[in-house]
Amino acid sequence: MKFDTLLNELFPNGFQIEKEGSIVSGSAICGNQRLALIGTVDHTLIGIDEIIRLSRIFLKIIKEQPGIPILMLVDNNGQRMALREELLGLPEYIGHLAAVQDYARRNGHKVISLIYGNAVAGGFIAFGMGAQTRIYAVDGASPYVMNLPAISRVTKLPLEKLENLSRTIPVFAPGCNNFYKMGGLTDIWHGNLAACLETALKEYSSIDSRAELGRQRGGRREAINTINAIINA
Amino acid sequence: MKLKITASYLEAAARQRIGYIADKGSFRELATAAEKHVSPHLEMFNIPVSFGDGVIIGEAEINGKPVSILAQEGKFMGGAIGEVHSARIIGLLRRSLKTRPKAVICLWDSGGVRLQEANAGEIGVTEIMGAVFDLRAAGIPVIAAVGGSCGCFGGAGIITGCCDYIIASEEARIGVSGPEVIETTMGVDAFDSRDRGLVWRTTGGKNRFLFSFVNELVENSPEAFRQAIAGALDLKMGITLEKLQAKQQELIDRMELFGKMSNAFDIWKAMGFDSPETIPQMTATELQSTLKSGVNT
Repeated sequence: MKFDTLLNELFPNGFQIEKEGSIVSGSAICGNQRLALIGTVDHTLIGIDEIIRLSRIFLKIIKEQPGIPILMLVDNNGQRMALREELLGLPEYIGHLAAVQDYARRNGHKVISLIYGNAVAGGFIAFGMGAQTRIYAVDGASPYVMNLPAISRVTKLPLEKLENLSRTIPVFAPGCNNFYKMGGLTDIWHGNLAACLETALKEYSSIDSRAELGRQRGGRREAINTINAIINA
Repeated sequence: MKLKITASYLEAAARQRIGYIADKGSFRELATAAEKHVSPHLEMFNIPVSFGDGVIIGEAEINGKPVSILAQEGKFMGGAIGEVHSARIIGLLRRSLKTRPKAVICLWDSGGVRLQEANAGEIGVTEIMGAVFDLRAAGIPVIAAVGGSCGCFGGAGIITGCCDYIIASEEARIGVSGPEVIETTMGVDAFDSRDRGLVWRTTGGKNRFLFSFVNELVENSPEAFRQAIAGALDLKMGITLEKLQAKQQELIDRMELFGKMSNAFDIWKAMGFDSPETIPQMTATELQSTLKSGVNT
């Protein structure tokens, strides 16, 4: 979905945004609530520059607008694969962004992410799944770890076999429906996005129930049982 | 003259590593063979499964202090993170919120998400991150040790970046995109993955230590890892807004100072090392003492 279309559909009562490269910040009204926006556009790659801008925005919101709900608008083609990122320590940068998002959630901000474009691999982890408990996707969005031809190359498994399996098995193939079945998406939004968002804010929870959702939806039958067996061992 | 035989942390199996780190006889494994905890997904790819799905978890003591401990088995699918593998780690971390050990010790050794279970692995990585942050918020330190042959890449590298304290050997490589992946995606000019020196200078423990991402650089020996882990148990850790703001500034400064350099040698020179080309030959101890003697100030 185009970013402008997304904003208009989500916020009929108004919004304001600022862009810095492919990073967007701003605020909007949903129902009778104000929320803070943090987003990325143009399928950007998530490198150290993007991360520092994103974490700066999070920290500013935490400081200046304590407790305000934060909506992350997600569109990225993954982590930036470059010598420079690895040289300077991309895992540390992503870890920092994750810690900042976690701090926000732990200190009274509802943190919700909405994938409206792509959400890929390390980029999805850094900006998208960092919301932990409430991760939504607009119908037609593309969350994935790796496309099937690349999985085939790396694992040496025949592409045809992967394509056949992916028709019935959600555990490795790209797409909203697969992530939904695994419990990785809270819900997929169709139709009136403003109403979807309003409901999401009302139903917000800071408890991570993704493994349980994965069991209920049949994509991850083992995870929650394993987790609970170990907690109670 | 007697030959001194030194064990290698790098080459040890997961269970051996726990044996090296924990007090003798103190390790109690959780969920052993009776509960098999194998991957339900590998069979369709005709890949053999392993009890515990490539990660050993349990409770132990280090110098008499109670800890939770896990060790990834790099020799099983490169320590890759799938559904059950991640669930076992999450289970141990969440259990530790209740049992409140002195610390949680994570002996990471993983190339990242298991592609045969890519979606489960990716979600599992972020569930682990959430559980790590829960522990840190509860004042229970999460200590990472990296020194296995898989290093820590992809999601595993990111998880390591979420821990309180990182102990690594020079042999530990920590990153997100592995050199081969960068080369395949961006071309050999972007990153020549066969240039071992370049790979180690970029992702290896020394570079991570010189940037203070790795808190403690140790030799590739079980005893060095044990001592460092034991010494970290009493450190005060945790996350505050002030610490996050300071980290933000540190990461910005790093980009401004070194962001235009494309070689670790140039960066180390800019850090104040007169002869950065000698760093790869130094032992961990030599590098630490060089720092202490003020070369890098």
